[in-house]
Formats: sequence, structure tokens, C-alpha cells
Amino acid sequence: MRRVRTPGTLLLILALAMATGCWNRRELNDLAIVTALGVDKAERGYHVSVQVVDPSEVAARSSGGSFSPVTTYDATGDTMAEAIRRMTTVTPRKLYFAHLRLFVIGEALAREGMGKSLDLLSRDQEGRTDFYIVVAKGHKAFDVLRILTPMERIPASKMHSSLQVSERAWAPTVSVQLDDLITEIVAKGIQPALTGITIKGDPIVGRELQNLRTPDTPTRLQYQGIAVFRSDKLIGWLNESESKGFSDITNRLNSTMVEIPCPEGGKLAVEVIRSKSKMEGSVKNGKPEIVVTMRSEANVADVECHMHITGRNSLEEIEKRAEETMRLNAEQAVAKAKKLGTDVFGFGEEIHRASPTYWSRVQNEWDQIFKELTVSFKVDMKIRRIGTVGESFLDEMKE
Amino acid sequence: MSRMRSWKRSSARQAGLDGNDAEETPRPLSASLEDNLDTIREVLGGSDDIVIRPIRLSGGVAAAIVFTEGLANEQLIAGFILDRAMSDDADQEHERTGRGAQEVVSELERHILAVGELEFLHVFKSLFHALLSGNTIVLMDGLDHAIAAGTKGWKDRGVSETSTESVIRGPREAFSETIRTNTALIRRRIKSPRLRLETSRIGRETQTDVSIMYMQGIASDKIVEEVRKRLDNIDIDGILESGYIEELIQDETYTPFPTVYNSERPDVIAAELLEGKIAILVDGTPFVLIVPAVFVSFLHAAEDYYHRADISTLIRLLRYVGILIALYFPSLYVAITTFHQEMLPTQLLISLAAQREGIPFPAFIEAIMMEAAFEILREAGLRMPRTIGPAVSIVGTLVIGQAAVEAGIISAAMVIVVSTTAISSFVFPAYSMANAIRMLRFPLMGLAASFGLFGIILGSFAIVLHLTSLRTFGVPYLTPFAPMNLGEQKDAIFRLPHWMMTRRPSLLTGSGGKRQQPAKAAKPKPDK
Repeated sequence: MRRVRTPGTLLLILALAMATGCWNRRELNDLAIVTALGVDKAERGYHVSVQVVDPSEVAARSSGGSFSPVTTYDATGDTMAEAIRRMTTVTPRKLYFAHLRLFVIGEALAREGMGKSLDLLSRDQEGRTDFYIVVAKGHKAFDVLRILTPMERIPASKMHSSLQVSERAWAPTVSVQLDDLITEIVAKGIQPALTGITIKGDPIVGRELQNLRTPDTPTRLQYQGIAVFRSDKLIGWLNESESKGFSDITNRLNSTMVEIPCPEGGKLAVEVIRSKSKMEGSVKNGKPEIVVTMRSEANVADVECHMHITGRNSLEEIEKRAEETMRLNAEQAVAKAKKLGTDVFGFGEEIHRASPTYWSRVQNEWDQIFKELTVSFKVDMKIRRIGTVGESFLDEMKE
Repeated sequence: MSRMRSWKRSSARQAGLDGNDAEETPRPLSASLEDNLDTIREVLGGSDDIVIRPIRLSGGVAAAIVFTEGLANEQLIAGFILDRAMSDDADQEHERTGRGAQEVVSELERHILAVGELEFLHVFKSLFHALLSGNTIVLMDGLDHAIAAGTKGWKDRGVSETSTESVIRGPREAFSETIRTNTALIRRRIKSPRLRLETSRIGRETQTDVSIMYMQGIASDKIVEEVRKRLDNIDIDGILESGYIEELIQDETYTPFPTVYNSERPDVIAAELLEGKIAILVDGTPFVLIVPAVFVSFLHAAEDYYHRADISTLIRLLRYVGILIALYFPSLYVAITTFHQEMLPTQLLISLAAQREGIPFPAFIEAIMMEAAFEILREAGLRMPRTIGPAVSIVGTLVIGQAAVEAGIISAAMVIVVSTTAISSFVFPAYSMANAIRMLRFPLMGLAASFGLFGIILGSFAIVLHLTSLRTFGVPYLTPFAPMNLGEQKDAIFRLPHWMMTRRPSLLTGSGGKRQQPAKAAKPKPDK
């Protein structure tokens, strides 16, 4: 056996290692970290804007505060790629999209169809697709990107975390990521729905550091409503209670507040702590049918009326009223979707699973069939706890 | 037994002392005292520390005692040899009986040379070895051999506390520089007749005593034989530390990993002997070698066996984490921050990026600079006089830790990375393994800088492949993982309670594999 000459081999390996020259090495300070990307309709093609972090303004230790923590750049181009590359004429560093937190689509573009603008992001090999996609309701995406936010110094992170929190604890928002969105655009049995984001206050004020200097930030970003699409085109908005119903039907609901009227006036709120919903499709006599079962557990959170909640049957009463409210929300959501003629709940997919043969026959006219679809709800709520006090002190209060 | 003979023979072969070639046939002593003394003077070149003291024994027999000043205990010589040999009692007795030199010798042996060790020397080679080891030589006219009396006694450090392997719980004693003290320290722990000691002299000029110790019947005969063979093959002018032996007998030279274990703790050596390993003791150094040494034994500390099993297991796991940090942390930092930024959480990325703002060097250069600075600081700390120590550490912390960050030359994150690595590299119980990891850290950083995580994986592959190819005295280095031996996992990653470890490592031991009788080794519990 021929022996390998060790020093020579080592030298060769070393030379090979050096020859690569660290070809795609990027130091952290060569990156412009993009946290939010906005796309708007332009006369030709797209108007793309990015929100880039200035790390030294954001870092915990730095004094910061005198400059804006983020910088926005924008450019127009026939394609997304062209517009982004055109930005290099103004950005000091190469834009780095892997840490994108938020992708904002301008309403005008969404109404026209946003599909084409998504390919670049889904194709890019260095991206992490864990960013959320939202629609700028009534505004340009570029305007949304330019609003400064308090506490979370990077507006995009603020919106990212606030979407997560509100989806978990409030419900009328949906956090949608790129691969879900693309699946929903393509699938026939489900249509996309995205949360809307809007600017409260004067957009011009929101761009200045002044916005952060007062306790009641005059201009804020706020999530509002859910945008429903048909394929990649925005066709309408759900309001807050419809949005809640939407989250509930699609098993996105985790925790929320349900307000119910008391028998003798006033209101009472229960906090849903666990919620699970299931839809079951079936085809009977050639007619599709959906049964949505929603089970949730709740605590009594707030009693602002005169009601004996420790009394006999009173919890059952509360449960019944809460169930009623939830059913109402869900029915409203379905009614709205039927009116818009787009199946954002994925009932079609359910029918597909229940009866593939039926589905293959009707899939192309599903939007029409959906309008006539029978959807029934089984709502079951259990009150688990009533909190640290029994009766509300309001009872003892002299009136 | 032919192997035993060859072991003895070859050590005798190397015992040539007179500066000539070792192969020369040994020269016998002559019957004339003058001739013998002349030869001694001639060979030693009249060195000042050799004392030749002519005496006249009782009965008028001319004699001389020869010893090396400083190595021989002069009180012993005065008290037991000079005094008794020239005493009047002996004089009268001799006059009465009128015996010759031959009788005087036996007389001396019986009554006078009241020291423990006594040896008759017939050739000069052994005479010189005895003389230069501190023994006192008694030569007599008309006698064609010399008597060597064991009078070794020199200034010795004594048994002191261990400085390199300190423990919270456990014996404090450490080996010293004298081989006899060291063997005694081991004997004191293992009072078994099966504990064997074989000594030979290695080093043409230094004639260093090198002993192997093993448990007959526990240690594998094959490995003992292999150790003897390898020691036999050593032909070098001097052995000044056990490191010489280690390098001359190890299986593989081109490896960063140590394949011979060393310790200055007698309790560690005793424990290893009981596992069937072989100790090599070298005169003149407190560091005793242990072979075969497998990878995991470098990760075990003596104290693991003195604390409760659960605590020891936890501490071992902690140690493995430290080892991984010491090996990988700088290269992971370099790889992730220069190639895989998408792996970091956004907040962390921004915070790291902010620290790197304005740093003029690439992360790799930064890491190399800091690592080099740390290694220099550490090396300086080891070598410099103790009084300057604080000064160096102040300069080190201030200049490297603080000033470099404030000046914007080094990022604060890098200081954290390098110092965490530095601290972690001190968790190794065995310094030789710490050095191996220290050495491998740099190529891994280079790979990380040119290939990213892919390079680190590549490097790790190479390390693991290399480890599996290593042997230590015929035993696979990764025993008991490769080859996998489920039964021996009890004392590899974990440290199970002593009552569960009933068997000795099978690859090391010959036949007697049992430590405890299984019946007695059951879990201790109260009587029913």
C-alpha cells in the first residue's frame, strides 16, 4: 500500500481552504438588517420600501435616542427584484432579508392582486420565512413602514410581537406566514385572509422622533380587521366581531374576552382560556354540509352588573349567553364571507377530505356552492372558575 | 520467561557507565585495592564530589570506602561503616582468630555493616552505578569484589500537597521526585502481594530508574509485555522526566491527543492499577505515567469517585459542556456571525451587530487576536516570577478586556466568547487533554472562517475519525464507545454508584474481571 505523505497532504488541504477565500463571508457590520418590507402599487411595477435597523441606535447599552432607530429606503421597479436592487444606489450596505419580521402589502396592490410580489421572497435561499404578512388598510405600505413606535424601538419587531400577542389574547387577528399564504392562494378549497394594519393619527407626525416623546404617542400602528381575499385579490374586510368568529372557526382562538349582556342590564365578561374548534364536512343527498364544533373553557373575568353568579343555574345561564355570543360572531363571519363569495375558512378543504369524489366534481364552482353551504355550529362553553371573589361587591353597593 | 530475561539483559546492556560504548564487555574488579582505586580515579576523572577514603581494617587489611558526597548519607557512613569497621572489638577478634580477607568480609557483613541493603559487586559497571546512585562502596585488598552498602540519602522535597490536581475531598498527598518514595506511596494504598514492581535503568548517561507497576492477574499480560518491550527498545542518553518515556513509547506521535495518562496523585495511580492498567514510574519526577489511557479517562477526575454518584454524574456532564465550549465556542461564533446570521434570533443579531459597528477587523481575525493574546497571557503567567503575576493579570484584564473594547478594536461579544472559552478550558481534569483541545480550537476556527458551520462539521468529522483510528497499547482509544460496550458505560459518561460497578474494563484486564462479588455488591439496604 502506498503511504500518503502527510505533510504534503496537509499543505494541499490548507491551500484548498485558503483558495475558497471565504467567498460569501459577511461581517455583521456589513449587513443592513431589513426588518420590514413594504410593497405598493406603482404606475409601472412595484414601489418597494424597506425598514432597515440602525443597530447602534437600538442596542441595549447604547445611549441612542437622538436618531431614528430605523431608516427606510424605497425604490420603484418593474419587478420586485429590480426595485430591491435599485435601492443599493441609496443604501450604504447590502440589504439582508433573513431577519424580515413583517411584510406589508399596500391595500391598492392587494386589491389588484399581490401574487406576483411573493415569488421573490419564497425563492430567496437566505430568507427565513417566519415573517408575518399584513395588509396596510387604507394606506400605502411605505407609510406604515415610516411610523416610529415606542417601547419596541424597531417598529417591525413591535408589529411582529404585537400580532403574536393579540392573536393569542384577543383573537380578531391572524398571523399568516408566507408558506401558508401561498398554499391558501393556490388551494381551491380555502382562500387567504390577512390581518389589516392601519395608522391611527397623522402619518406625518408618526415619522418623527417627536412621536416617541409624549406618553400618548399621537400616531400609532394598529391592527384592524381581517382582509379576505379571493385567490390573491383583496375583496373585503371583516369587522372585529366577525374577525373573532373567523379565528374561532379556524381554530386559531386561544384566549379572548367574550362580553355578554346581563339579564338585568349591564355587562359581564368571560375570559376564554382554552378553545378548540373542529369542522366536519359531509355530503348528504349531493349537498355539502359543515358542522363546526367549538369547545371552550372560560373564567368569569368581569361582572359589571347585578347578577347572582353563585346562584343556582346562574353559571349555566352565563355559559348559554356566552355560547350565544360566540355563535353569533361565527355566524356573522360566515355570512360576511358568503356575501363576499370567498371561502376563507377552508370549508372546501374539509369537504374535499370528506368526499373527494364530490369535490373533484364541484371544485371549480366552489365559490358559488359556498354561498349556499349549510354551516351549523355546536358551541359548548364551560365556565371553570369565577375568580377570587364570589358575588360582585356591586350587589352590596347602595344605589 | 524468556521475555523476563531479555528485559533484564537489555537493561544491563545499557548500564555501561564508563563513558564508552554500552556494548563493551564489563570489566571485572581486580584483587588489588590499588588497581581498583586507580581505575575508579581514572574513570571518574578525579571528580571532586567522589570521596575515596583509605582505611585500615582490623588485622591490618588495607581497605577503602568510596562514596559520592551529597548523594550518600554521611552520618550513616560514619556511624555504621567507619566506626564499626575500625572498631577495637573487631581488631581483637581478628587478631585472635587470624582470619584472612575473605573472613573479614563475612564478618563485616554480619556485624559491622549494619545497614539494610548490601550488594556484592564484581564488575566496574555495577560499581559505578552503585556509587553514583549514592551507595557506599567498600573495597578491600585481596578481594576481587566490592561491597556496596545502601547509604542513599540526599536532600529530598518530601511528600507534599498536590499542586496540579487539587481536590476538595480526597487525599492531599502527591508524588515526589524520589522513585522509592513514590513506590512506597502506591504500596501503602495497595497492600496486595499481586502488586508487582519491575525496575530497569534507562538512559545511557543518566541511568534513570524506571519502574513498571501492575497488578499481577488483573493487568493483561499482553499489555504488560508490550510495555516491557517498548521500554526495552528505548535507547537514549538521558531520561529527565516521564515525558521522555511518554513520547518514546506512545503509539502515535502525530496526534494532538494524549495516549498516555499522567498523574501526580498516588490515589489516582492506585485506582488505575486496580483497573488493570500499568503504571510507569520514573525517578526524578513526581509525574507517574499510566498506560493504556483511553479517551474518557482524561475526562474523569479523581474526585468523581469520592463524591456521591449523582453529584459526580452531574459534575461530569457539566465538564462535558465545558469541553464542548472550549473546543467549539469561538469557531461557532465566527461561523454564525459571518455566514449564518439567519440562525440568530433577531434581537441577538441586532445586539451583536451594534457591538460590531466600527470594528475594523473581520470576526475571524478578531477571534485569532484575542485567542493569541489570551494564550500569551496564560503562558506568561506560567513562566514568570510569582511576584510579577498580579501586574501581568492587571495589564491583561485592563488592556485586553476593557481598553480594546472601549477603543473599538475588539467587540465586547468577542471578549465574552474568548473568556468563556478560556474559563471552560480549565475544567479539564487532565492538562494534557486540555492542551489537545486548545490546539484543535485554532484549526476549527480557520475552518469556520472559510466554510462556516459546514467547516466545523468537517473538522469534527476529521477529529472523530482520527480518534477512532487511535490505539493506546493496542486498546482502541474510544473504548468503551467504539467498540461499544454497554456494560462499561457505567463509568464513562456517567458515574454510577460503586455498588453497581462490579466488573473491571474488559479490554484492559486479563482474566480477573470482577471487582466485587455480585451477591455482595447488591444495593445496600437495611435488613428486613
